[in-house]
Amino acid sequence: MNPIFAGDAMRELLMRELLVPEAFFFALQSPANNLWNQIIHSGSAPDLSKFLVVGALLFVIGVAGVLTRRNVIVIFMSIELMLNAANLNFIAFSRYLQDTGNLNAVAGQVFTIFVIVVAAAEAAIGLGIVIALYRNRATIFVDEIDLLKW
Amino acid sequence: MTLTGWEAVFFWIFSSAALIAALLMVMARSAVHAALFLISSLVSVAALFVLLGAEFVAGVQVLVYVGGVMVLFLFVIMLVNVGAEERGSERLFNGQAQTIAAIVFSLLLMVGLIYSINQGFRGLAERDSTRLAEVAERRAAMSERLPLGATGSAKISRDTEQIGASLYRFAALPFEIASVVLLVAIVGAVLLARTRKQEAASGDVDPEGTT
Repeated sequence: MNPIFAGDAMRELLMRELLVPEAFFFALQSPANNLWNQIIHSGSAPDLSKFLVVGALLFVIGVAGVLTRRNVIVIFMSIELMLNAANLNFIAFSRYLQDTGNLNAVAGQVFTIFVIVVAAAEAAIGLGIVIALYRNRATIFVDEIDLLKW
Repeated sequence: MTLTGWEAVFFWIFSSAALIAALLMVMARSAVHAALFLISSLVSVAALFVLLGAEFVAGVQVLVYVGGVMVLFLFVIMLVNVGAEERGSERLFNGQAQTIAAIVFSLLLMVGLIYSINQGFRGLAERDSTRLAEVAERRAAMSERLPLGATGSAKISRDTEQIGASLYRFAALPFEIASVVLLVAIVGAVLLARTRKQEAASGDVDPEGTT
């Protein structure tokens, strides 16, 4: 894969569009500071894998939220975040299929719409349960909802 | 599919915004703040959808998630929230051992996911490296042929048209099932959220016989 988003293109873009002075890049490219070079040269052009990594990180944050929080509503929000991370993967793969020959591939986008529908239904039902729970038990903390615990 | 130029810059901006907002959502003390952080995360992901050429899904995301689901969340927070978390009298997270175990598990999951994504993507890129280059030309030619918008500065995407066509042709049955699912969800939410007084007024039989 050719590094399209490599240093020179990025530098030209910044100089042309944002009027960044050229001295700024000399300062960045001093031998002591080659982090900039590493970031923009080491194949960091946003391709499919970058989108998948963003989706994976969003999913992991959602998992951590579900496992650590006590508030039921925040747990529901974390579940929405996980569903959304899956949606990002669907859309990224849809674009990848379009770019590898199947120019009209929209199956991933159609599936994403169904995921959004199911997420909306799940939020409505879940929040109804939360309201009923609060009315009966006067709490929304998951560790205080222990009727089934022996 | 490699984003270049401004698209790449916007990818980094919006993906980092989505991740930071998601982290702040998980750690927010107030549930209302968590909802607002989730809204900003969802809007950033919608911007990523636009970068990927899925304009219709981005619009649906903003309208349904941000406009519908999150407003529902905010209403329920208003009805339910006790404010004990905000005052600091209630713990935010589970017990310490449980939280540490959960974070370790999440880190392991993250390492595994990123490793497997990179491994799998390497094989995929090897397989498709020639194909990507030749299809890129065809895609560029196809987007050249798209009609100009009214202002003349942008082209009209065929994304929405294609999704509509495949929703009504190839995904017609799932589409109908989704509408039934939404109907059941509406009825179920109304049933679950009724008060005792409303239940009594509707003439239903109370299983506990208290009315």
